[in-house]
Amino acid sequence: MSIAAISIENLSYSIQGRRILDQVSLSLPADQFSVILGRNGSGKSTLFNMITGKYRDPSGAVYLLGKERNTLPEKELAKTIGFLPQFHQSIFPFSVHDVVLTGRAAFYRFLPSRNDHKIVSETLSNMGISHLQDKAYTDLSGGERQLVLISRVMAQGPKILVLDEPTNHLDLHFQVLVLEKLKLYSKSGHTVVCIMHDPNMANIYADHCYFMKDQKACDSHLMKAEHPSINLYEALYDTPLLQVRIKDKTIIVPKF
Amino acid sequence: MMRRILSNAIIYGLPLPVIFISLLIGSSDNIGFSAFWDWISATLDGSNSAPLVVENVIFNIRIPRALMTFLVGAALATSGGVLQAIFRNPLVDPYILGISSGAAFGASLAILIPLLSVHISAFIFGAAAVSLTYVFGYTKNSSSITIILAGMIVSGLFTASLALVQYLSDPFKLQAIVQWTMGSLHLSSWHKVQQSVIPISAGLLGLYLIRWKLNLLSLGDEEARAVGVNPVYIKVIAVILATMVTAVAVASAGIISLYGLFVPHITRMLVGASNTKTTPANIFFGGTFLLIIDNFCRTIFPYEIPIGIFTMIIGAPFFIFLIKKRKINWT
Repeated sequence: MSIAAISIENLSYSIQGRRILDQVSLSLPADQFSVILGRNGSGKSTLFNMITGKYRDPSGAVYLLGKERNTLPEKELAKTIGFLPQFHQSIFPFSVHDVVLTGRAAFYRFLPSRNDHKIVSETLSNMGISHLQDKAYTDLSGGERQLVLISRVMAQGPKILVLDEPTNHLDLHFQVLVLEKLKLYSKSGHTVVCIMHDPNMANIYADHCYFMKDQKACDSHLMKAEHPSINLYEALYDTPLLQVRIKDKTIIVPKF
Repeated sequence: MMRRILSNAIIYGLPLPVIFISLLIGSSDNIGFSAFWDWISATLDGSNSAPLVVENVIFNIRIPRALMTFLVGAALATSGGVLQAIFRNPLVDPYILGISSGAAFGASLAILIPLLSVHISAFIFGAAAVSLTYVFGYTKNSSSITIILAGMIVSGLFTASLALVQYLSDPFKLQAIVQWTMGSLHLSSWHKVQQSVIPISAGLLGLYLIRWKLNLLSLGDEEARAVGVNPVYIKVIAVILATMVTAVAVASAGIISLYGLFVPHITRMLVGASNTKTTPANIFFGGTFLLIIDNFCRTIFPYEIPIGIFTMIIGAPFFIFLIKKRKINWT
């Protein structure tokens, strides 16, 4: 078996005495598109923050491609993992090119090289937003902004890309666009991990699904072997559901 | 394209002509262009035919004053632009964050109790002030307004301490302290220029070198970490350099309020938001524009008025305009 992209061992986290994560262990496969599903407050975002290093638990550990996260030097870390936090508010009207260029910041000391600029242009064209290059980031629609922010992390070129609800607040057009670009990225030898709310989008695009309930993660591998049962989703979301099979995918809807 | 040429002309073309014009303006009305020309040609000839008073006014008063004004303007504008970027807040400048008051207190303390040099003491207390503002203003859910309120309180604290220093000073020292807290450039001399040119130039050079990272910082800490850069280190360097140039400017010319607030907005209108372009623009345009304001201060009324009064009169409505524009993240 190949090395896991992200391997988490015994992570716990409390905020003001309230348990947010409880002894979570999880292993996410390399070069695949994985999605983490769960209700609000199930600990998904906290897990995200532990993976990205914002929160730390000294008694647990996070391994990235087999190496302890905290032992990686800054540049090495930038090559290994990039992430997209939720909600971003820009204050100054930077051009899209300038915003994406900041994704290269870990690799130059003072001036970005010609190569850095080239990578930015290539990333923008891969994402299909070259035409936005000189526009002010603050003038873009929510969907376009999200594409720009994803381009920014992709310009960094990390082997692992972790995103916290990348399709939040996006219309269907941009949801599909974003997920297809992420899927494409995962096909080119990168690991993509998304925290998501929509189980159907997860079913359609993800290679693997992971579930979080009551501060615990369950590594199910259900997507690969057989489809997750409706009972699992009902338990996950505490809601009665119906399922429909379309092609080889399961689509779930609230019971009506 | 046209726009770019025009803004480059304003930013990089204006400084020399404006410095030149500043040498022709002043309270000695009779020393205008013709006297200046006579002095230049006399100096070039090597003959000492120019009247001594002309040489004295131009060489010992107007030239150092123009240079000092340019340095102070460049320092305050660049520092303001950098602070706006790293605090992610278009409403801050060295004055609002309390750096100016802290530096003023430090400088006056050094006049009262001459243990440290005025510049170093100004820097130490300027840095203390901005650290306090940061600690008070940055809570988990702080908004743009919280940091401004914290800056106001810190500023008030140091202004009160400055008053205390003045209260404790003997009349001669008091006079020295009051004179430069008014924010006047009329005491500029070659000596003052010599004292400030190195720290200000070095600080500005440092800020110019990190201009590419400033864009990253102004997207936010989380966004910097997202692409693998620890923002703390570079932020500390930027704040230290910005505080340094401000403290030296304040120690040389007193408090010039809000200048660092509105100049970065003007340069942003000229060259766009990217700090890679605004940082050099703030250096050059910041210097030029303060010279222009100073020339007005010297000529509008029969008596020169302190420049801090002027910048406050321009800056205050600008601040209100920015608040009303509401293009700012309040929550």
